[in-house]
Amino acid sequence: MSKDNKGITRRDFVKGAATGLVVGAFASMGVYSYTSSAYDRLPTAERKMHDFGACRSVRVTNISETSWFNNAHLIGDIHEAGGLLVNQYTLNWAPFANGKGSAKGSYDDGIGSIKELLPNDLKKAWEIQKKLALHPDNPGGYSCLLEVEDLDGTIHKYLLDTGWSYEWMEDSFKREGIDKMLEEQQIEALFISHEHWDHFWGLPVTVKYDNRIPLYVHDGFYKEGLQYIKDCGYKGEMTIVDKPITEIIPGMALLKFDVPIINRVFGETSLAFNIKDKGLLLISGCCHQGILKFADFAQANLKYDNDRFYGIYGGLHISPFEDWDPKYDDLVISLGEWGFERIGCNHCTGHLTAKKFIEAGYPVVRGTARFRSASKDYLGNGDKISFGC
Amino acid sequence: MDNSSVSYLESRKLVKRWSGPIPALVNTIFILAIFYATWWIFQDPRGLMRMYTPYVGYMVCRWLLILFIWVAYIFDYWPFKRSWLEKTHPLIKGTILTLVSVAAMILLIKGFFVEILGNFGIAYFDPSRLEAMGITDFYSIEYAAEAIMMFAAIASWLSPSWVVACENAPWQKLDQPARGITIAVVTFFLSMIVYFLTMHSHMAILFYPWQKFTAICPPYWEQFANTVSGNFHIAWIMCCTVVVWLFETIWERYPFNLIKNDALRRVTSFFGIIAIAVALCFFLYYAQDLVWGQTIRGTRRLMAPDWRWLHVGEMAIFWLVPSLYLAFYCNNWPTKFSRPVNVCIRTLLTALMAAFVYIVYYKTSHLFLGTQKGFSHPQQFPMIPMIWLINIFLINVWFMDGWPGWRAVPKTTAELAEIKEEVVAHDVAWTPGLAKGLFIGLCAGVLLYIAIINILPWIGEHFTIIH
Repeated sequence: MSKDNKGITRRDFVKGAATGLVVGAFASMGVYSYTSSAYDRLPTAERKMHDFGACRSVRVTNISETSWFNNAHLIGDIHEAGGLLVNQYTLNWAPFANGKGSAKGSYDDGIGSIKELLPNDLKKAWEIQKKLALHPDNPGGYSCLLEVEDLDGTIHKYLLDTGWSYEWMEDSFKREGIDKMLEEQQIEALFISHEHWDHFWGLPVTVKYDNRIPLYVHDGFYKEGLQYIKDCGYKGEMTIVDKPITEIIPGMALLKFDVPIINRVFGETSLAFNIKDKGLLLISGCCHQGILKFADFAQANLKYDNDRFYGIYGGLHISPFEDWDPKYDDLVISLGEWGFERIGCNHCTGHLTAKKFIEAGYPVVRGTARFRSASKDYLGNGDKISFGC
Repeated sequence: MDNSSVSYLESRKLVKRWSGPIPALVNTIFILAIFYATWWIFQDPRGLMRMYTPYVGYMVCRWLLILFIWVAYIFDYWPFKRSWLEKTHPLIKGTILTLVSVAAMILLIKGFFVEILGNFGIAYFDPSRLEAMGITDFYSIEYAAEAIMMFAAIASWLSPSWVVACENAPWQKLDQPARGITIAVVTFFLSMIVYFLTMHSHMAILFYPWQKFTAICPPYWEQFANTVSGNFHIAWIMCCTVVVWLFETIWERYPFNLIKNDALRRVTSFFGIIAIAVALCFFLYYAQDLVWGQTIRGTRRLMAPDWRWLHVGEMAIFWLVPSLYLAFYCNNWPTKFSRPVNVCIRTLLTALMAAFVYIVYYKTSHLFLGTQKGFSHPQQFPMIPMIWLINIFLINVWFMDGWPGWRAVPKTTAELAEIKEEVVAHDVAWTPGLAKGLFIGLCAGVLLYIAIINILPWIGEHFTIIH
């Protein structure tokens, strides 16, 4: 074979090899990637079985699940401002309104008009803000009282979230006697599930009655949120939750999820309980991480009685604006396989989702539709639910 | 042979105005400036028009892409004359052709989809009909925009495929506008069939109760895709959209252009693109499972199968951006080796560049695009800024002849003859050396794949893009 011939052969070899490399890689992708054997090689996650103790029961009082009263106004304001990615502090909603119109608000402008009045003259502060805000009567709020009975019978009280409208939350707190409990420092801590308006902006109402209540917030809070805590007159000990699991008392843990949320909010914290002889109870504010991700994380990390999913309470963030998406049906179809025995949902779960849960035959605890709650398909304002009692 | 016998894009040669990398640098700066300015004006949630709601913005940029493809590829710039294209200043030409495309897009969206189809056919194409039925104005607009956008996603695969893979057959000899109208109508019709097979059931599930009498609900793909969401189809359709352009640019239609028989080459190219896209789709889905863990049906965001399928399409688009950049602004580097070697190097290089763009995007986009931090925000579609950028590439190269870094000159007769020759590649012939190389290469390709799927779980454990 001549040198030239060798050169040509080598050149052909390289051409073939280059072609083969790309074809081989793509062929492997197509032939192997979606096969069961490809998935067999995935390691099975070892459950960590973190033992966080047990409690006897949890009783939840729904202080308010009505975060806003009119979907069209809320989503219309967001739409006008530019959509679901617009920074919530610029939306010109109370208590951070400056009267300049949609998407022209700012934290500094808004708080500047009421800062001196916080936390003691909330009525006046809200009146000022109502004059500046878009749809000032639309805010409500999400907040619930958790009464956790430990194994020796002691009752521990906690607040999950603090609502939105100062006016509405004052009324709701008074209706359920939360104001007195705060004043008497019966409530051991306030957990803010996430930084959204309807869970967090009503903070001065809690601070007004107890400005030293231990406070837990996700480490994804923005500087405006952290500044608001100071501007509210809060003087207590704040824990910025930066660990996946934070134990609170035996049988109660705060779980942290790093999840992007609409209107520039980042991160959610939710609560898990191990109810003695019953199993795992999950309680959320909005559950932006998804109830099944919440359950899966708990299953992968926590040890709980009977190794059984027992209950759910809270907003499950599925169809908050009565919108729908096929992926929500994935949840409706799948939830039954997880075996929850008692489902208490409301708020951003959406009426449509609750209706679909009921149609699917899930053990949904229904409500009374009092105090401006819109549906009996789920637990409304003032309704209570017990787990383990 | 003269340059009027081929399309305008084939008839011109883009010549650098300056030597070295200066034209590429100048155009990069120019394109990024246009991108950011137009993003702020039209899309940015903090900007002027705020169309990134996100579906309205998504619909607009997808249909613009189709219109650009129609103007340049399908209609060969008809009704604009070749002499006008050759003599007009690129800035004027770019402005006029873009405005014509925008006008056609508005006519198509508002006229055809909303007013005609939405009012006389399928209600979900018209937001006002949805709103009248009790859906909030925001979701009425978003749902209608999603349906119209998905139609565009399908068309943006099929339209260029008819030109690139099927070589305009059997209408390649028709004059314009007959050829353009025929191909547009045929690909539009095919898009409609694919739309009904892939997205109509998805749209039906948006409404309660499911429109069981007019759509297959739950849909046929539920078990295979582990979701009822049509995002499963977005995955492979987006991969088809991307592969058709890889095939046209960095692969120079290799290896299907080795087939001499016209019909066989065209059919093989068309279905070969789909096969490659499906392979890519399955891999990108599996890659996510390797990095983030297996999906949980019914959960949200990162762990949800529907989002993972969507993200397949998003990852594919991240590959298209560097591929088009390499082809348009780097003279499809490298070009000095044989075609298979060039193709192989470009494939590996652009895949690495895609990974780089992906990382940079997720690390920084929320800082300057007004989007949310995180991979899986339900209102975040990296496809929108990526396609917006690609649209600007296309305006710059197709409508402005690469101005300011390049200028168009007519190709010589010899260069035009070369195009004709290149329909069927002649530089690769079957030899024992090639066969041996092919076998070794195939084994290397399989090993490369195995290496990648073994590295991915380690990457998932040790690297975090978003803190």
